Amino acid sequence: MAKLLPIANNVRELREQHGLTQGELGEKVKVTRQTVAAIEQRRYSPSLETAFRIADVFGTGIEKVFYWER
Amino acid sequence: MSFHEKSAWLMSIVLTVCGLSYFQKVYSFSLAAGELIGPSLPLLSRFTIGIVVAAIIGHIIIAVTSPKEAEQEPDEREKSIFDKAGNLSGYVLGFGAITGVLHFAMQGNGNVLFYIVFGSLLASQICEYILQIMYYRGRI
Repeated sequence: MAKLLPIANNVRELREQHGLTQGELGEKVKVTRQTVAAIEQRRYSPSLETAFRIADVFGTGIEKVFYWER
Repeated sequence: MSFHEKSAWLMSIVLTVCGLSYFQKVYSFSLAAGELIGPSLPLLSRFTIGIVVAAIIGHIIIAVTSPKEAEQEPDEREKSIFDKAGNLSGYVLGFGAITGVLHFAMQGNGNVLFYIVFGSLLASQICEYILQIMYYRGRI
């Protein structure tokens, strides 16, 4: 399995809690469904702006969504 | 699979098939002539038209099967995929161009220079699409 990026996230859990599909979340934060999937699988670390947009969709702080995993 | 990834698959296949077909013809004509033939305008025209027609038809089919995705602009991840793939594939073209020029400096054969540079351009484009696919599927 490919090495994961060091920035972990709770995007999948929060997205499911909010009843959103990957495509719907992608539309809200202006990225494709594939990019949301890549973020959830830690294959892509989003830009700071997109990270804030995602946190905003979930109505929470960015630190609740993304964190550094040592 | 996003529209741009499908497009990368399509273009890598089209370029590989058309490129192989072009160089296969150059090889067989050169064998018949007993020497490397010069760049032929009819062959190049057929090659170019083949790529353009296949690319247009292929992209129409991809767009028709997923019209919503076809209208989307590349997002930040895709832009970064394009940048990385373009950057790395540039080395292929650079290596080929330098090799071609060095060969020309030593042998003075303009036809070989043309085919090396043209082949490198083709290889670099194919490499760019393959790298895009790899980045789409892997991490970036």
